[in-house]
Amino acid sequence: MATPLLEVEDLKTTFSTDNGDLTAVDGIDFAVDEGETVCIVGESGSGKTVATESITRIVKEPPGRVEGTVRFKGRDLLSMSEEELRQIRGNGIAHIFQNPQEAMNHCYTVGWQIAEALQIHQDVPDKKARARAVDLLDRVGIANASTRFDDYPHEFSGGQKQRVMIAMALVSDPDLLIADEPTTALDVTVQAQILKLLDELQDEFDMGILFVTHDLGVVAQIADRIVVMYAGKVMERGGVLDIFEHPAHPYTQQLLNCVPEIGGNEGGIPGTLPNPHDPPDGCRFAPRCSYAEQTCRTGGQPEELDVSPGQRVSCIHYRDGRDPSLLRENAPGVESGSNGVSSADD
Amino acid sequence: MTDEPILSVRDLKKHYPIRKGIFNRQVGAAKAVDGIGFDIAPGETLGLVGESGCGKSTAASSVIRLEEPTAGEVVFNGNGRGGASRDSDGTHPNDVTEFSDAELKRFRRGAQMIFQDPASSFDPRMTVGSAVAEMLEVHGMSDRHRRRAIVEDLLERVGLSAEDYDRYPHEFSGGQKQRIALARALVLNPDLIIADEPVSALDVSIQAEILSLIDDLQTDFDLSLLFISHDMSVIRRICDRVAVMYLGEIVEVGPTDEVFADPQHPYTEALLSSIPTPNPRSTVGGIELAGTVPSPTNPPSGCRFHTRCHRVIQPDGVDVDQSDWRGILNFRDRVAAGQVDVESIRENIVVDDGPTSDDHVRAQLRTEFDIDERIGDPEIEGTLQDAIDRLLAGDDEAAAELLSDRFTTPCAETVPERTVHSPDHESSCLRHESEQATAPGAADD
Repeated sequence: MATPLLEVEDLKTTFSTDNGDLTAVDGIDFAVDEGETVCIVGESGSGKTVATESITRIVKEPPGRVEGTVRFKGRDLLSMSEEELRQIRGNGIAHIFQNPQEAMNHCYTVGWQIAEALQIHQDVPDKKARARAVDLLDRVGIANASTRFDDYPHEFSGGQKQRVMIAMALVSDPDLLIADEPTTALDVTVQAQILKLLDELQDEFDMGILFVTHDLGVVAQIADRIVVMYAGKVMERGGVLDIFEHPAHPYTQQLLNCVPEIGGNEGGIPGTLPNPHDPPDGCRFAPRCSYAEQTCRTGGQPEELDVSPGQRVSCIHYRDGRDPSLLRENAPGVESGSNGVSSADD
Repeated sequence: MTDEPILSVRDLKKHYPIRKGIFNRQVGAAKAVDGIGFDIAPGETLGLVGESGCGKSTAASSVIRLEEPTAGEVVFNGNGRGGASRDSDGTHPNDVTEFSDAELKRFRRGAQMIFQDPASSFDPRMTVGSAVAEMLEVHGMSDRHRRRAIVEDLLERVGLSAEDYDRYPHEFSGGQKQRIALARALVLNPDLIIADEPVSALDVSIQAEILSLIDDLQTDFDLSLLFISHDMSVIRRICDRVAVMYLGEIVEVGPTDEVFADPQHPYTEALLSSIPTPNPRSTVGGIELAGTVPSPTNPPSGCRFHTRCHRVIQPDGVDVDQSDWRGILNFRDRVAAGQVDVESIRENIVVDDGPTSDDHVRAQLRTEFDIDERIGDPEIEGTLQDAIDRLLAGDDEAAAELLSDRFTTPCAETVPERTVHSPDHESSCLRHESEQATAPGAADD
């Protein structure tokens, strides 16, 4: 198998604050292949966003500090100069953020902003850049694109702005799209349109997508592989079917339990995320975990263990010589083979 | 009387005038809420759901008179005002829209509101305890120690601790702030709480906590709730009944389980099918709602949903595939709006051999609007081909005229009435009206 599009190894992002160092992402690995969608899931505060922003180093440095290795098409991004990085950002790797309002300049027309995104990286004449922008606006489903080119951001609705953001991100044919909660602020109907659009565009451009979300419904629909994060660490990873049908880590199980269609847990996960200034010893989830025992509370985060091909979990209950059957029995999960938990059939 | 609703809204309207010119003449109105009605029984939770821009929040603020409603009646029977009957002139003594300032202040003791963003609903320079206690002070409790005791007790009941009284808003997380907002809403012991997207800004795991807290508090305090959300799964978890709003109107109302299991209005159906199901093996919903909610300044005639409806009715004598029919109507509307640009379609077609011909454009148009290559009904097919030919000849106006003459739907002409499906379950869709009219036998049962 060829080298993955994006390879992240031992990524660690630390912020220096008045109260000492805060490690938001604490040594995580993952990879994204061409044409593949990888979802990072977890509660807010678990470090998902910081992890994705560390890839192209758009986290502010200082106070932030990014360590580890991030290889994009084999090149190490973390050792690059700012100038080299700027060539990658928006060109090879594009970002879409949760809030399109804040990511656009209100003083320029949306078309101009899309064209600018292209011309920064490529020597394209104005006329051609305009044609490309109009074409993309049309492709992302903005009706009447050639007229809307000259409109300002405030003349677009929230869903349309997010489409414009996607057009802006795609203008220079990125190989990797990093989408940070791109549909969280939108209505379900618009969300469905945007997800469908991303899917079509992915097929067409063979992009890799790194998708950050806390909505497990969305994850189930779009993900190929899932990385579950908690308090800066990876708890579990695996294919979308493995995670939904056989969640292994107690945290993944609890997270799935919070989805009304899957688990009956309406009270949420008891407790809160640990203080990032002073993370607990052992497994980060141990203080909130009902299966935790003394071993869980000492040392570092447990090593990742294979539970099935492609599925790895960081939990001591899966170590050799231990019996994880109790965790398995009580696990929630979508029944394999069932066709839709609550399908809205006619 | 116990069976009278705590809140009864009838024909509530809120129109925002649009003014123009140097004399500020009113040239139109944005009909944000256009004649809605619902009842909330004591202890009941009614959900109000719809896309953004459909008027949910305006409805809420008009009910509580944060904004003056344009017309309609809001009868509030809380605050021990129950049992009143209408005056001889037809007005109701408990009508909130007619309240004087003094009555309004008393009303706001009995009806409280919670907002979406807990961060912006607190004064950052006021401790949360005094923010909650201020409510008591405003409403006449002068004993400082008693105020503090009440608030401390309440903070504990919403899952915080009494010591939090002296802390400032920035020291709390979003979920904790929403707990404080709940405490503030409850401190005056209201009968009704209007919650406008109270959990939308929160994380899923926190959402679940706040929802179950709301559920517990509702039982403890015997509250009625009007719960506004765009998130169907939240509505499903907390509401007894749900009202679905579209463009200022309620299109369907019924018990939550029934509406989710058996949606009667096509809009409800489409909303439900857009929810991503948390099952990787099922594919995302079949019904795609194109576009966004139309402008409320100039809402579509007849049924307001007909411009996006996947079940839009075919007139007598027309019998084509439903998706083709939707495509034809979309085509008609886009042509009428002058938004079908044949030349740009032609430019975008890539042909391997030779130049692009008119046939390529014809095919492309049909693909774009999801219309079949050939429609079974020869008359329809003929009209469609005629219109496309006129478009290709550059005569957009003639094409638009032909299309709007020949393709009409009853949905655009008749405003649907309410149809009753079961005692509590009603919807406004023409399809049900015709079903009931043609099948009188069913109604006799």
